[in-house]
Amino acid sequence: MSWSSAIQGLIEEFQDIDSQFEKLEILMDFADEVVPLPVDEWNESNLVKGCQSIAHIEVELVDEVVTIKAAADARMVEGLQGILTIAVNGNSPDDLLALTPDFAEEMGLLNTLTPSRSNGFRTMFDMVQNRVKELTK
Amino acid sequence: MVKDAFPILSREVNGHRLVYLDNAATTQKPQVVIDAMANFYSTSNANVHRAVHTLAGEATEGYEACRVNLKSRYNAPRAIITSGTTEAINLVAHAWGRTNLSKGDVVVLTEMEHHSDIVPWQMLCDNIGIELRYVPVQDGELDMDAFAVAIEGASLVCVVHTSNVLGVRNPVEEIISMAHKGGIRVLLDAAQAVPHEMIDFMELGADFMAFSAHKMCGPTGIGALLVNEETFAEMEPFMGGGDMIETVTLEGSTYQSDEHRFEAGTPRIAEAIGWTAALNWLGEQDLSAHHERMISAARSVSDSLLERGITVYSRLGDGDAAVVSFTHPTIHPEDFARLLDAQGIAVRTGHHCAQPLMARLGITGTIRASFYLYNDQADADALIAGVDRVLEAMA
Repeated sequence: MSWSSAIQGLIEEFQDIDSQFEKLEILMDFADEVVPLPVDEWNESNLVKGCQSIAHIEVELVDEVVTIKAAADARMVEGLQGILTIAVNGNSPDDLLALTPDFAEEMGLLNTLTPSRSNGFRTMFDMVQNRVKELTK
Repeated sequence: MVKDAFPILSREVNGHRLVYLDNAATTQKPQVVIDAMANFYSTSNANVHRAVHTLAGEATEGYEACRVNLKSRYNAPRAIITSGTTEAINLVAHAWGRTNLSKGDVVVLTEMEHHSDIVPWQMLCDNIGIELRYVPVQDGELDMDAFAVAIEGASLVCVVHTSNVLGVRNPVEEIISMAHKGGIRVLLDAAQAVPHEMIDFMELGADFMAFSAHKMCGPTGIGALLVNEETFAEMEPFMGGGDMIETVTLEGSTYQSDEHRFEAGTPRIAEAIGWTAALNWLGEQDLSAHHERMISAARSVSDSLLERGITVYSRLGDGDAAVVSFTHPTIHPEDFARLLDAQGIAVRTGHHCAQPLMARLGITGTIRASFYLYNDQADADALIAGVDRVLEAMA
């Protein structure tokens, strides 16, 4: 599958790093990409269910463009949310719904994480797609 | 070197020497255990009991040798082989609880219990209406004044011998003595105790004692419930089939009179043989000497963590298990543990199946480094070096 330049950049960022520690450090750096969701906007509907950490994602459509705001109590989860932000923000609903989370595999990201966190990434990705489907009904 | 007996400890994880400090969850297996199980499947595999052929005889002998070994090592009149501590406690709830408890009878638990010693009793509470009382934890220890009040009129006390979260060894001798003065039965969850100290079941005086093989160098999937004769006589089977029967007719069945009445179905034969090998191997070890080394290493970790502004919840007294539970003021436990794993250091995070204790401590989870007899000061030093690298990365 061909990826957008933003996603291709993510894949290249991780591809050549052998050190697990360094991969995790870079993952955590991506937390800076998150558009923060303020605590007072955390609610049951934007809670990421099944995530071992506390994580929230709010999905909005502004001028037919997908935007997410997110927050988490663990830095690595915030890093995953940052990667998700780069991958999904700015997409049209159609492009977002055509996207698959396989780019994370290509990044070599999921095998860096525990199963619960790699599942958490897929859960967050699915949550964004499902919310976009609801918003475009 | 003890480490040399454990092949897994020579592997690397993420390019680093494995420093395995998740022993309260499960311990590694010495080669003799691996060999014993492989040898059984290679040479003697058969189902136990009733068949007359040679392999069945060897399998039966191997399985029953585990029971003989358990009874001998722990001085126990009865040793029921289970799938582990959890099944052993559930067995007490079903086989003894349903027969001897009724609506309104009191079972005393503590806030320090593993979920495996809470949930079976909550289920029994829902089913037959027993009353549950919980002894609170104060400053990481059981509140013994509250315990004295809680046991008034109780039928059973269920208490963890040594906490899997804090490593605290509870005053089980005093607990048993107080309970027995009131005619109250006592169940000890000894999953974290038997790996660290020799226990004479009859001398200690508990009525039930539950533990698992895998926390003492044995295989997963097998454990035991030790029971004294008087209490054993009060238990009724709750799982039917397989070796627990004596005769079966269309009108009804009769049951075995010994421990087999509680071991329905094909038992864990290879695991029993592996556990025997582990018990024999442990029998050659000086547990006291190992304990002194482990607690010293754990204390050095605790001191170093405190120096770095990290909160440590473990007491690490002379009789406690070498378990260091800690939290950092800002770094999430999962992030901390993942960064340690990237350096080859295995620790556990989360609530450790003790959510009520977490609630009492006012936290949702800890990072837990737990030592066993193959760990040494070099492992403790590696952990602290790993912690320093995490702190540097997260600064």
